[in-house]
Amino acid sequence: LSKKVQAIYLWWHKPVIDQELLQSLPNLKVIANSGVGMDHLDLKLVASFGVKMANAPHAVSSSTADTGMALLLASARRLVEVYHIAISSNMDYCEADILGVEVAGATLGIIGMGNIGYKIALRAKAFEMNILYHNRTRRKAQEEQAVGATYCEKIDSLLQQADFVMVVVSLTPQTHSLIGKRELELMKPTATLINISRGAVVDQEALVMALQTGVIRAAALDVTYPEPLPRDHPLLKLKNVIVTPHLGIKTDKATYMITEEAVENILAALNGLPIPNEVLPS
Amino acid sequence: MWYHKPVINKELLQSLPNLKIVASSGVGIDHLDLNLLSSYGVKVSNTPFVVSTDTADLGMALMLASSRRLVEGYEMAVSPDTEYFPADWLGTEVSGATLGIVGMGTIGYKVAERAKSFEMKILYHSRNQRKKEEESAVGAVYCKKIDDLLQQSDFVLLAVTLTPQTHKLIGKRELELMKPTATLINISRGLVVDQDALVEALQNKIIKAAALDVTYPEPLPRDHPLLKLKNVIITPHIGSATKKTRRVMMEEMSESIHAGLADLPIPHEVL
Repeated sequence: LSKKVQAIYLWWHKPVIDQELLQSLPNLKVIANSGVGMDHLDLKLVASFGVKMANAPHAVSSSTADTGMALLLASARRLVEVYHIAISSNMDYCEADILGVEVAGATLGIIGMGNIGYKIALRAKAFEMNILYHNRTRRKAQEEQAVGATYCEKIDSLLQQADFVMVVVSLTPQTHSLIGKRELELMKPTATLINISRGAVVDQEALVMALQTGVIRAAALDVTYPEPLPRDHPLLKLKNVIVTPHLGIKTDKATYMITEEAVENILAALNGLPIPNEVLPS
Repeated sequence: MWYHKPVINKELLQSLPNLKIVASSGVGIDHLDLNLLSSYGVKVSNTPFVVSTDTADLGMALMLASSRRLVEGYEMAVSPDTEYFPADWLGTEVSGATLGIVGMGTIGYKVAERAKSFEMKILYHSRNQRKKEEESAVGAVYCKKIDDLLQQSDFVLLAVTLTPQTHKLIGKRELELMKPTATLINISRGLVVDQDALVEALQNKIIKAAALDVTYPEPLPRDHPLLKLKNVIITPHIGSATKKTRRVMMEEMSESIHAGLADLPIPHEVL
């Protein structure tokens, strides 16, 4: 059987692609990933076996951007907290305890302005938010104008001004622990951190401290490290944290589109044609 | 007055001979008998426009939370029993879906502006059709008959005022016209929906889910079925509940009261 395998479609990081597996599949030509993140793959190792790799960057962008907005709104309006108040057997609550913070007119700082980051900017603009962004490279002037986004060459400038900080970068050695103690302390004490990228982009221990001591107001995390978190992790108990189970792309439509993209990639590779979304080790 | 308290009835009005003005928080005035108040020479004011943006934001928040199963997801993420996140746990996509807005006033229109950025297809039903430029700005298509909107929408959002005409606007018939995959979002008033019909529709999968910021009464009795259904999100009427907006509302109410006491023209008077 192992000689017959020419393609692997990776779903949620399974199977684990290691030296052993690659050695056991001599005719493997391509590994197609579901989703856009490739941080779970050793790109150089795979390439050394002559195996091509591809991801599915387009299918994920709308659903992930939607998730980012869903978390931003849920956190700002304290949706999870007030839902529990609304259904609790004891309806004793103080009006002041259910007040949230405004989204319209607030400043959103987007860290990572790729496909997903840009779609978030498009949505945030409709919510009358003021948009700042920080990225490896600056976007074209027309793209910036279309969403009213201001480039912050230094991340510090974004962190100091934003009411909501949305992290939308890929996980690379450069973005590992990008948001740590220093960055959290630069943020406003009234600010909210939203992470829809990868858990490891944020220094989780520093985040816990910051949330416990009021260094920032709240956090909403669709991704953590690991997933799921150990059941006794402080992030799961903090009132000002919303954690969701990596549901960024988990919609019927997105999973269908991702599979379509992956199949395209696989067929191209097996037919010796250029792969639409090839990922090269860089 | 905040949240319909105190209750303004004949007894109260008779006991307050020098009452000049009732300043009501928020935009809805369905809880006030305007004719009765007028007969006692008491003026009424509300805070109409300041609540619109936050309420529209909440409508979007509820639509996103419901479709992406945010509350369920949170519970899974924090539950002591969770060992892994199942791969086949899915929500429904908002981007590109069809949103039907019932009531295209200030709040309804702001919802449309937001929904457009999610590349949603927007249908609307309203007493009056909006101007062509307003429709094209948000890509909204007018449905003269509410049935057309109900049959085509993936999300039905209620943003009407409560009047005798909109009382139980959404009942058994309307719910049955909706798609079985559709979600009802209510940010208007509880009484716009026939609650018993809604419970049945949700229990029998006539519609997929509901997200309600408003119910009747508020709060619901603690044993009400709506509080127990897995496909329902309820929030405690927080449409305008942000620090900034509440502050502005208080300021507007104070202004109206001062004007009322000084016999000057009242800002935001309700006639």
